[in-house]
Amino acid sequence: MEIEIEEKSPVIRTAEYCMNLEDLQATALSINYTGQYLLLAGRRHLALKNLYDYTEPLKLFNRNSKFEVSCAEFAICNNSSAFCAIATSQLIEVLKWTESSPVLEYSLRAHTRVVTDIDWHSKHPYMLATCSIDTYTHLWDLRDPKRPILSLSAVCMSGATQVGFNRVSGNFIATAHDGDLRIWDIRKGSRPVQYITAHLNRIHGINWSHTEESNLITASQDGSVKFFDINNPRRAERIITTPTPSPVWRARYTPPAFKEGLVTIIVPLVGSESGENSLLLWSNSKNSQSPICSFTGHNDVILDFAYRNDPYRQSNDIEIFTWSRDQTFRVWKLDKELQKLCIQNTIETENGESALEYHQRNSTQPSCSLQHEFSIIFFPSIPGIQKYELDTDKRNAMIRIVANGFIIILQVIFPSGYPFSSPPIFEFCPGTTLDDNLSLKLMKSLKDSSASRVKKGKACLEHCLRALVSDLKKETGGDKAHYLRLQSPRLEGALSKALSDSLIPFPKTSGVRFNATGILVTFARPFTAKRFSLRNQTTTPRALSALSGGYLGNVNGSKPVFYPSKDIDRKSSTGVSICIYDASKLLMVSRELAENYVIIPTNLPRMCRKNREVAEEFGRADLVQTWSIAETIALALASSDFELSDDEMFSSPNPFAKTFLEALINHYAKLGDVQTAAMLCVTFGRYYQEISSRTSSFSTKSNTSHLHAQRLLKQSVSPYHTVTAMDVNSQSVIKYNAWVLAQHLKGQTRSNSWSDSLDDFRINEVNRSVLGESNRNFYDNLKKFYADILYCYNLLPARALILKFVSSPAAFSSTVEFVTECQICKKTSKSPSCLHCKKFLLYCSYCQLPIKGSANSCLSCSHSFHTAHLLEWFENHDVCPVAGCRCPCADNFGMT
Amino acid sequence: MVSVLQTLDSGHEDLIHGAEIDYYGLNLATCSSDNTIKIFDIKNGGQRLKADLKGHAGPVWQITWAHPRFGNILASCSYDRKVILWKETNGEWTKYYEYNNHDSSVNSVSFAPPEYGLILACGSSDGSISILTCNTETGMFDVKKIPNAHTIGCNALSWCPSALPDSTFDQKGKQTNPNNGVAAQIKRFASGGCDNAVKIWKEDGDRWIEEHKLEVHCDWIRDVAWAPSIGLPSTRIASCSQDRRVIIWSTEDFALWTPTILNTFDDVVWNVSWSLTGNVLGVSGGDNKIFLYKENNDGIWSCISEDAENAKDVRHT
Repeated sequence: MEIEIEEKSPVIRTAEYCMNLEDLQATALSINYTGQYLLLAGRRHLALKNLYDYTEPLKLFNRNSKFEVSCAEFAICNNSSAFCAIATSQLIEVLKWTESSPVLEYSLRAHTRVVTDIDWHSKHPYMLATCSIDTYTHLWDLRDPKRPILSLSAVCMSGATQVGFNRVSGNFIATAHDGDLRIWDIRKGSRPVQYITAHLNRIHGINWSHTEESNLITASQDGSVKFFDINNPRRAERIITTPTPSPVWRARYTPPAFKEGLVTIIVPLVGSESGENSLLLWSNSKNSQSPICSFTGHNDVILDFAYRNDPYRQSNDIEIFTWSRDQTFRVWKLDKELQKLCIQNTIETENGESALEYHQRNSTQPSCSLQHEFSIIFFPSIPGIQKYELDTDKRNAMIRIVANGFIIILQVIFPSGYPFSSPPIFEFCPGTTLDDNLSLKLMKSLKDSSASRVKKGKACLEHCLRALVSDLKKETGGDKAHYLRLQSPRLEGALSKALSDSLIPFPKTSGVRFNATGILVTFARPFTAKRFSLRNQTTTPRALSALSGGYLGNVNGSKPVFYPSKDIDRKSSTGVSICIYDASKLLMVSRELAENYVIIPTNLPRMCRKNREVAEEFGRADLVQTWSIAETIALALASSDFELSDDEMFSSPNPFAKTFLEALINHYAKLGDVQTAAMLCVTFGRYYQEISSRTSSFSTKSNTSHLHAQRLLKQSVSPYHTVTAMDVNSQSVIKYNAWVLAQHLKGQTRSNSWSDSLDDFRINEVNRSVLGESNRNFYDNLKKFYADILYCYNLLPARALILKFVSSPAAFSSTVEFVTECQICKKTSKSPSCLHCKKFLLYCSYCQLPIKGSANSCLSCSHSFHTAHLLEWFENHDVCPVAGCRCPCADNFGMT
Repeated sequence: MVSVLQTLDSGHEDLIHGAEIDYYGLNLATCSSDNTIKIFDIKNGGQRLKADLKGHAGPVWQITWAHPRFGNILASCSYDRKVILWKETNGEWTKYYEYNNHDSSVNSVSFAPPEYGLILACGSSDGSISILTCNTETGMFDVKKIPNAHTIGCNALSWCPSALPDSTFDQKGKQTNPNNGVAAQIKRFASGGCDNAVKIWKEDGDRWIEEHKLEVHCDWIRDVAWAPSIGLPSTRIASCSQDRRVIIWSTEDFALWTPTILNTFDDVVWNVSWSLTGNVLGVSGGDNKIFLYKENNDGIWSCISEDAENAKDVRHT
C-alpha cells in the first residue's frame, strides 16, 4: 500500500505579504467596512494600517490600558463604518475613527465579567451584541448606549464565549456556552429558541452562513468543525475533523464572492512544528474530508483573521489577513484556482472515510492493530515527511524524511508484541545523509521516546516521527517556533495547553499550614470575591479546565481572573485573606514553659519543684500536678541514692516509680505534649549524679561522649579495673577518652594495677536510670524532638542541655575525624586493625604492644598509647616517651 | 485556644494558592495566580514586604521553605512547568536554581527532612516525580526522575520524617551498639495523584521504588501529609481528595497500612497539614472553610474548630 502524499495533500500556499510588527503586542484584528484599514488592537496601542498603500507607515495610538483587548470589531454597515467596538475587561468602548484619530464615542457598561466577543448586526447600523463570562449576552443600540436594549440571560453556569448574528435575516443570535449552543430570536428575547449540544468540549468559534438563514458552523476544542441547521439541531449536518485532532480556534465561511469555502485556524498541539500553525481552506461540500489548501508561514499560533474583497472589484479574489502571536501580519489570496478546487470537490463523489468515523477516533482508544495505527496517522501533517510505504503484513514501514537539508530514510520494524510489550525497531537505511554523531543522537531519542510510549501501551509511530523531525531541526538549527513559544508561555497556557488543563488540578484557593513553631497560617478566598460560577455547583471541580472560561474566553492571555470583584479598579486586590494564628496552646508545647523550665541534674527534687512553680505561673494546672508527683518520686530517689554504696546493689528504690513514670510519659506523648514527656524523660532518664557534677567542664562538648563517659567512670570506680576497654566499634570513645581521663586523673587516686585482660572486659552495664532501657530509643526520640522545637524557638542553651541527655550519639556530621593509616598497605581504617592486611594499626609507644582497646594519639607527634599507659607515664612526665621525640604531649592531652 | 497573631493583605493581584511560614516563624511566603511570590517579614507582628519574586510565567501553585541550615531557600512550582529555587543572600532574593524538565504543570514541591541534605521532590501533571538533590558544596543538582509515577498526574508530595524508630534493629542491638541506632535510614515519601492512589516510595540504592499503593479514595488525591514522628511506634499519613474525604493511614511496620476515614466534608478537600507534634490536623477545602481536628486519648478524632476565623472561640478540654 503505497501512498504518494502529493495525491491527497492540500495545496500549500505562502503569504503574499508579510509584515513584522514586533513590540506591538496586539491581540485583536479587524478590517473596516471599506477594506481600507486594518486595525490591530493591543493593551498598549491601537495600530492602524492602510491597506490601500502598504508603504504608508503604521499609525499608532497609545492606549496603555491595564487590560488586554479581548476583541475588536469594526461595524459592518456602510452607515456606521467609522465605528469600532473594542472590548477590554468588562467594558466595551465604541470608537469613531475620524480623519486624524479615534474618538471615544460610547462606553457600554453592563457586563460584570470579562467580555469575550462582539458582533455587529449586518443590517442595523447601530446594533451590536456582546457576550461575557458573566453568562449574559447584551444587545445594544448605539442611539441609546446607556443600557442594553435586550439582555439575553443564559441560565447556565458557563459563561458565553462567542456571539454571532445571523447574516441573512439578522433575527437570530447564536451564543456559545462551553460545548453548547443557544439560538435566540431577538424578536422574542428572554428565552433561547434552540438548545444545541454541539460539542463535548468548548466552542471557540461560531459563524453563520452568508446564504442559508438557518445554517451555522461551530469550531471546537475537540478538534472538529460541525455544520448545523438550526431547524434540525439534533445532529450535525456535517463534521470535519482536523488531522491531528488539534483544537480549532476559528472557522468561518468564505465571503459570498468565494463560493463553497471554509477557512479554519488550528491551534497546534504542544511541541508540534510550525507547519501546523496554518490556516486551512476546506471545501464546503459534504464529501470532502481533507483540507484543500494550507496557508503556511506563521511561526506561531494565529490569533485571528479577516477577509477582504478585492478593493478595486477587478476580480473575485479574496484576501485573508492574519495576525499571529509571532507578531507578524500576513496577507493570503484565495484565487480562482482555489475556487476551482473548492467547487470540484463539491461535485466529486469521493468515498472517503465518513465524517463520524473520523471523528470517533478522537476518543483515542489505544489501538492494537497496526493497520489502524497507520490509518489514523495523517502523514502529511508531519512536516518533513515526503514519502512513506507501509506493509502491515510484514509489519514494517519505510519512511523518507527531508528536513533542513538532511535526508533520512527510516525503516521501522514492528515486532509482534508491539505496542504492548516491545517497541518498534528503528534503522537508518542507506541514502540517509546524517553524520554518525547526529544519527546516534537521533536514534537514541527515537528509542527513548518509543520505549516510553510503549511502556504505557500506546502506539508510538506518529509520536516518534514528530519527535524525530523536531529533534533533527533542533540539532541542525532553525527551530524558531520552539523559542517563540517559550517566550510567551502564558498565551500558550491559554491556547494549546488547554488540551491538558483537564488533567491539572483545580487551583486551591484556601489552605492551612502549620509551621515548625506552632504558628498556623491560613488563607482563603476573600469574601468580596464571588464564587466562580461553575457548571456543577454542588462541589468544586477537580480540574483546571473548568476555569478555562476565564482563561480561554480571553484568549490573548490577559490575566486569568478567577474571581474578579465587582468594582473594576480592583485597587485593594484580594483584600485581607491571610491569617496567622498562634496555635501553640493547641499543640501543648508552650514557649513560655520552654523558656522557664530548668534542668538541675544534681538536685532532682529542686528541679521538679522549680518546674512546678513555672507551670503554676503560666496557668497550667494539669502540669502542676505532674510536677508534684515527679517531685515526690525524685525525693524518694534522692534519699535512696545516698544509701547506695555499691554498684551491684542498685535496685529500684521505688518499684512503682518506673511503671508509673512510663505510663505518664506515654500518656503525654500520645497526647502530643512532647514538652512534658521529654522533660520527664530528662528528669528521670539516664542521669548520674556523679558525672554531672564532675564533668561540668566538658558539658559544651558533644552529647555523644556522655554515655561513654558515664560507663567509663562507673567502671573505673571498681577497685579491680583501673582502665576500661571500650566497645571497639565506638569511635566516639576514642575521641573523648582524653577528656574523660583528664577529668578522671584529677579527681582520683588510682591503683596501678593493670592487666592485659582489660581488652576483653565486658561492660556489665547496670541499669541506673529509673526509666528502664527498654524504651530508650523512644525516650531519645522524644528528647530530640523537643530539642528541635527548642531550636525553632531559638532557645539554644536549653536545646543543648536536653540533647545532653540523649543516650545514643547523633550522627557525626562534619567534625574532625580520626583515621589511621596502615603502615603496610597505606589504607585508612577506623578500626584497630587494618581491614585489608589484618595487622594492628596502633602500637603503644610505651609497652610496644598493639592497641586493641581504647587508644590515645597525640595530635602533634602522632604517637599512640594505651590509655592506662598514657596515664601512667604522664603522671610524672611532660614529654613523649618515644626516644628522640620532644613533643610536649602532656599539654595536648590536657594533663598539665 | 488559638489566637490571631495578625492578618495580612498579601497585595497579590489574583488569588493566593499557597502561604507558608518559615522554620522560625519570621518570614511568610505567598504565591498566587498573578505569577508572583511575595515574601513578608512578619517578625514581632510586623508585615513588611521583603521581596516580590517574579520568574514564573504562570500561576504559582505551591511554595515551600527549606530547613534554615541550608540558608534561606524557598522552592516554588508553577503552571509554567518550572520549579524554581530562590535563595536569599545579603537580603537579596535571587534565583538559585531553575528546573524545567517537566512536560506539564508542576503541582507540588516538598523538601526532604534536613538530615538527608537539601533534597526536593517535585510532582507534575505529566505524571512524573523529580527528586533534586543538591550538593551543597558545589551547588550542583543531581536529578532523578520517577517517570509515570501517577498516571495522568501527580498532585501532592510529602516526605517521611527521619526520626522514626528503626525497627530493623532489635533492642539488644541498640544496647550493645548505640551507633546502630542512627544507622542510615531508608528515605521514603508519599505521593498522591489523579489515579486516586496514595503511593509510598522508598529509596533503594540509587533508585526509587514503589513500596505501597494505598487505594481507598475514589477520586483525585489533592494533598498528602506525612505526620511528624515524635518517636511513637506508629507512623501516619493524612490524605485528602476530590471525593471530599480525608483519610488517615497508619502503620507500625510499613507493611500494613490501615485507613481511617476522618470525615466526609461538604466540598472537595484541598489541604491537610499536621501540627508539629502530630496531634492536630488542619483541613481546608473548596468551601473556603478551615477545620482543625484533634485526636483524643482513645484515638477518636473530633473537630475542634470550624473555620479558623471562629477557632479562637473554641476551647478544647
